[in-house]
Amino acid sequence: MYMPDFEYHAPGTMAEACKLLAELGGKAVILAGGTDVLHKMKQGKMTPEHLVSLKNLDELRSIRYEAGRGVVIGSLATHNNLYTSELLQNKYLSIPMAAHSMASNQIRNMGTVGGNIVNGVPSADLPPILIALNSTIRLVSASGERSMALEEFFHGSAQTAIAPGEILADITIPDQAATGSTYMKFGLRRSGALAVAGVAVTVIIDGDIVRGARIVLSSAAPTVMRARDAEESLKNKKVSEKLLADAGAMAAASSRPRDSIRGSAEYRRNLVEVLTKRALDRAITKGHS
Amino acid sequence: MNENYKIIGRSVPRMDGVEKVTGSAKYTSDLKFPNMLYGKILTSPHAHARILSIDTSEAEKLPGVKAVITHRDVPDLKYGISPARWDENIFCIDKVRFVGDKVAAVACLDEDTCYRALRLIRVVYEELPAVLDFLHAMDEGQPLVHDEYKRNINTEIHQKFGDVDKALAEAYHVRTDAFKGQRTYQAPIEPHSAISMWDGKKLTIYSSTQTPHYFQHYIAREFSMPMGDVRIIKPYLGGGFGGKLEPTGLEFGGAVLAKITGRPVRMFYDRAEMFAHNRGRHAQYMEITTGVDRDGKILAAKANFIMDGGAYTSLGIATAYYAGALLPLTYEFDNYQFDMHRVYTNLPACGAQRGHGAPQPKYAFESHLDNVAKDLGIDPMDIRIRNARRPNTVTPNDFGVNSCEMKQCLERVRVISDWDKKKKNHRHGRGIGVATGSFVSGAGYPIYRTDLPHAAAFIKVYEDGSAATLYTGAADIGQGSDTILCQMAAEAMGYRFEQMKIVSGDTETTPHDFGAYASRQTLMSGAAVKEAGEEVRKQILEMASEMLTLPAEDLDCSEGIIFSKSMKDKTLTFEEAARRHFVVKGPLLGKGAYTPPKLGGKFKGAAVGTSPAYSFGAQVGEVEIDKETGEITVIGIWDVHDCGKVINPRLLHGQVHGALSMGVGESVWEEVLFDDKGRVRNPELGNYRILTALDMPPVYSEVIDDSYEPSGPWGVKEVGEGATNPTMGCFSNAIFDAMGVRVNSLPLSYEKVWRALKEKREREEAEKK
Repeated sequence: MYMPDFEYHAPGTMAEACKLLAELGGKAVILAGGTDVLHKMKQGKMTPEHLVSLKNLDELRSIRYEAGRGVVIGSLATHNNLYTSELLQNKYLSIPMAAHSMASNQIRNMGTVGGNIVNGVPSADLPPILIALNSTIRLVSASGERSMALEEFFHGSAQTAIAPGEILADITIPDQAATGSTYMKFGLRRSGALAVAGVAVTVIIDGDIVRGARIVLSSAAPTVMRARDAEESLKNKKVSEKLLADAGAMAAASSRPRDSIRGSAEYRRNLVEVLTKRALDRAITKGHS
Repeated sequence: MNENYKIIGRSVPRMDGVEKVTGSAKYTSDLKFPNMLYGKILTSPHAHARILSIDTSEAEKLPGVKAVITHRDVPDLKYGISPARWDENIFCIDKVRFVGDKVAAVACLDEDTCYRALRLIRVVYEELPAVLDFLHAMDEGQPLVHDEYKRNINTEIHQKFGDVDKALAEAYHVRTDAFKGQRTYQAPIEPHSAISMWDGKKLTIYSSTQTPHYFQHYIAREFSMPMGDVRIIKPYLGGGFGGKLEPTGLEFGGAVLAKITGRPVRMFYDRAEMFAHNRGRHAQYMEITTGVDRDGKILAAKANFIMDGGAYTSLGIATAYYAGALLPLTYEFDNYQFDMHRVYTNLPACGAQRGHGAPQPKYAFESHLDNVAKDLGIDPMDIRIRNARRPNTVTPNDFGVNSCEMKQCLERVRVISDWDKKKKNHRHGRGIGVATGSFVSGAGYPIYRTDLPHAAAFIKVYEDGSAATLYTGAADIGQGSDTILCQMAAEAMGYRFEQMKIVSGDTETTPHDFGAYASRQTLMSGAAVKEAGEEVRKQILEMASEMLTLPAEDLDCSEGIIFSKSMKDKTLTFEEAARRHFVVKGPLLGKGAYTPPKLGGKFKGAAVGTSPAYSFGAQVGEVEIDKETGEITVIGIWDVHDCGKVINPRLLHGQVHGALSMGVGESVWEEVLFDDKGRVRNPELGNYRILTALDMPPVYSEVIDDSYEPSGPWGVKEVGEGATNPTMGCFSNAIFDAMGVRVNSLPLSYEKVWRALKEKREREEAEKK
C-alpha cells in the first residue's frame, strides 16, 4: 500500500521530544505503537511531514505503584504490558481484561494505552474502564506539564483536549473506594473485533447496598460518556435484579449511538442496556474482574 | 476391491509442510528477478461513468516510471472465463461499470513510484446513474450496465422436469418460502499476484492461479499467440476458493508492460483491491415451493431465483446454472422446475466461490424443508431420511448418481450428534439443526469447448531408481493435491511415498490438466496419475521378470520391493529393476490421461452440474443463543461425509474443517457491504469478518468408511466444496430450533437474531392484549 513520505525522528529524552514537537508544530505527529497512525497514513487519511517516535523514552513504559498517588501507567505501555502486569492483575483485574479484549495479539504487542486514549475514538476499549476508575492523565510539553481528569479529555469523536506539542506521559489510577470494577464489551467475533458497545462500571458495595457507582459507555455516543442518571439511580439502594435492569434501561436511554456497519443505533442501545446490567452484576459479585 | 493398500488411506505428512511452516516456501510475491519492475492498475472511482478522456503524459514524465498503458495499448478483444458471455476488456474503453473497474496501468522502478504515477493519470469521467440494487435491476427505466443486455439480464434459465403443476395440485401440503443470500468474498490469505516476462516471442507468467491451463488458454487467445509460447507457472499458493480461477488483469496488464519495457514486471493487489476485483459469492433472492405428501415425501419442487451478478459475467453463468442444477441431488423427487435471472449491476463481478452456486440455494431449501417438517409435525431428521437419495439413481435433470450414502450420513450424524436426546430434552436457549449437501467430483465438461482430456500425468523414474517425479498440471492451492497425487502414484507404481517428488502447475514442464476447481483433482487428476503409475509398474515387473526369469504375472511390487507370488525368496528392489531398465531399455516413464464419459441430458444447460461422481454429506450444528443480545455461540458441528475412498484422512478432515470455517463465517458474520455510491465499505479483514482461530467451534468430522465410487480411481470422490454446502442451512435450522423464529436472510447475524426475537416477543404481547 501507498505510504506517503515523511521525516522520521526518535528523540532520546522527554525534553528533546518536547523541544522537537514545539519546533515542528502542526507538521508533526507522534508515533507510539503505530497501529493507528501508520494505518491512517497508508489510507491517505493522515499525511504528516514529520513522525516523532517516542520509542526511546523508556520511562514512559513502566507500570508502577506510587504511594500517595496510586497506580501509574506509562503511556507507552502496550496492551499486552497491561494484560501481563502483575500489579494490575492483583489490584484492578478489569484493566488487563479490557486490554486483552482488544484486537489481536500482534496489535496488542504494538498498540499502547496512550495511543488508545489520544486517538479519541468512541469505540476505544481502555478509556471507559480508566474513567470508571477515576483516572487522571499528565500531559507534558516544552512549556511545562498539566494534569486533568481523563473524563475531561474527550470532547468529541477524534477530538480531545491535547494541544499541539503535548505528549501524554502517564495515567494515574488513584486509590479506590470502589469494591469492584469491570469492562464488558460486545464484539462481533472473539478476536479482532471493535466494540459494537462497551460498558465499564465501578461500584462501592456495602453489604447489599450500593453506596456509589460509575458507569461509562463506549461506542454509545460520539465520545466515551458517563451514564449519570443510571449511576444516581443506584445510590444507597439495595441490590436487586430490578435495580440493575432499571439502571441498564436508564443508561440505554442516555446513550446516543449511531448506525454503523457493525450495528444499528437501536441494537446498540439495547446492548448498552444489557451490558450495563450484566457489568454491574459482575462488579458487585466478582469485585475487580 | 483390494483393501490391502500400503500408501493410500494413510495420513502421510504433506509434502510442502516443512517449507510452509518454516516460511521457506516461496509464493509468487516472494519471487524476484533481475531488473524486475513493479506494476499497479488504476481503477475507476465511479460505479458507472463514461470515460471522456485519459491523459497519461504527466505520469510518463515522472522519474522512475517506465511505462503507462491504457486500452489503446492492449488488444480490445473481449474476454471472460465463460465463452458464452465474454464481456470484459483488459482496460475499459468507453465506460467504467463498477468502482474498481480497470482503466490503466503503470510499471515503475519501485512500488512507491507506482502510486505516485497513478495519481498523475488524468481520467475525465461523465458520471452515469448506476444500478446498485439487483432486485430492481430488471425494472423498466433502469440504466443499462451493458447496452446489449436488455433489462440488465445477463443469464435467464427456465427448466422444467416432470409435471410440477400436477404434482403440486395433488400434494397434501404445499408451502412457499423466500430467502436472501448475501454477497461474500473468498478472502484468500495470499493476495493475487503475477510476474510477467518475455524471452523473445515467449511469455512466462508466474501467477497465483488455481488454473494454470485456463490462464494459458486465455492469455494466448487475447494476444493471438500459440499456446506453446505461453508458459504459466504456479508457485506455492495461499488459498483460492474460486477467487483465483480467472484472469485478473494482473496477467494481461503485466504481460503488456513487460513487453514494452523488456523487463520482468510484478503486478499485485492489496487487500482492498482484492475486494474490488472480487468474484465472490453472488447475493441472491431465492423463492422455494415444495409439495409433499402426508409423510413429508417431496413430490415436486420449484425454485425461482434472482442473482446479483455485478458488472461482468465472470463465471456467473455457470454459477446461475449450478444454483438450480445441484438442488435435486440429496433428496429424490421427480418433478422439478428451476427459473433464474442473473442480472448485471454496477458492483464488482461475482463468480465462483467454494461450493459454486450450491450453498445458498441449499440454505434456502434446507430452511424451507424444516418449515415444512414443522407444518407436518415431523422431526427434521426423519423428513430428510425419508427423502434421502439412494445409490444408482438419476436426478430429474438427468444426473446419474452411482455411489450415494446419503441415508447413512444422516443416520450416522444423528447418532454422533446425540440428535434424539437433544431434541427431546430441549435446553433453554439451545438449538440443533441438520442439513445435507452434495457436490460434483469434477465438472463433466470443461469451461471452454475442447476435446482435450481433463487431466494428464507423467512419472519419471530416476536412472538409479532412487526417486520418481510426478509431473502433473494439477494445482495444489493449499488443499494438498501434491501430497495425495504422490500417494496415488506410489500406490499405483508399488513404490514408496517418501521417494516421490512432484512438479505441478507449470504448463511447460507438466502435462495438461484443467486445475483446481469443481473439486475435480482427486478423482480426475488422480485417475490420470493412477494410469501413469500402473504403466510404470507394468514396465518394472516386465524388467524384473527378465531379471528373475519368472513370468511377469507371478510378480508384484509393493513399497519398492518386487516379489514373486509363488516363491517367497525371489525378490528384487524397485531400484535394481529400475536401474536395469534404464541401462537396457532407456528411461522408465509412465503416462496417463483422463477423460470423463459423456454425461447428462439433452436440454439447454444440461451439461452444467454433470459429474462422474457426487459426494454427499450431512451436518448437524448446535448453537446457544443469548436472547438479550442475539449472540450465537456454536456448541459444535458434526459432519459425516460420503466421499468415497479416502486417500489421506488427515488432509480430508482438514478440508472439512476449512470448509466449515468458511461456512460458519458465511452463516453468521461475512458480508461484503456497499455504500450508496457502490463502494465497498469493508474491504479489509477488520470489518469483513472471517473466523479467527478463537471463533472456530469444535468439529466432529467422520466419513462413511465403506463408501466406494466406481467411476473414481480406487473409489474416490470429492470433499473440499461439498462440506461447505450444508453449513448455512444447518445453522439456520439450529437457530430456528433454539428460538422458534426463522431469520430469512444471510448472514444470520446477531442483530438479525435479536430483532427476530424482539419481533416475536412483541407479537406475543400484542396477542395477549
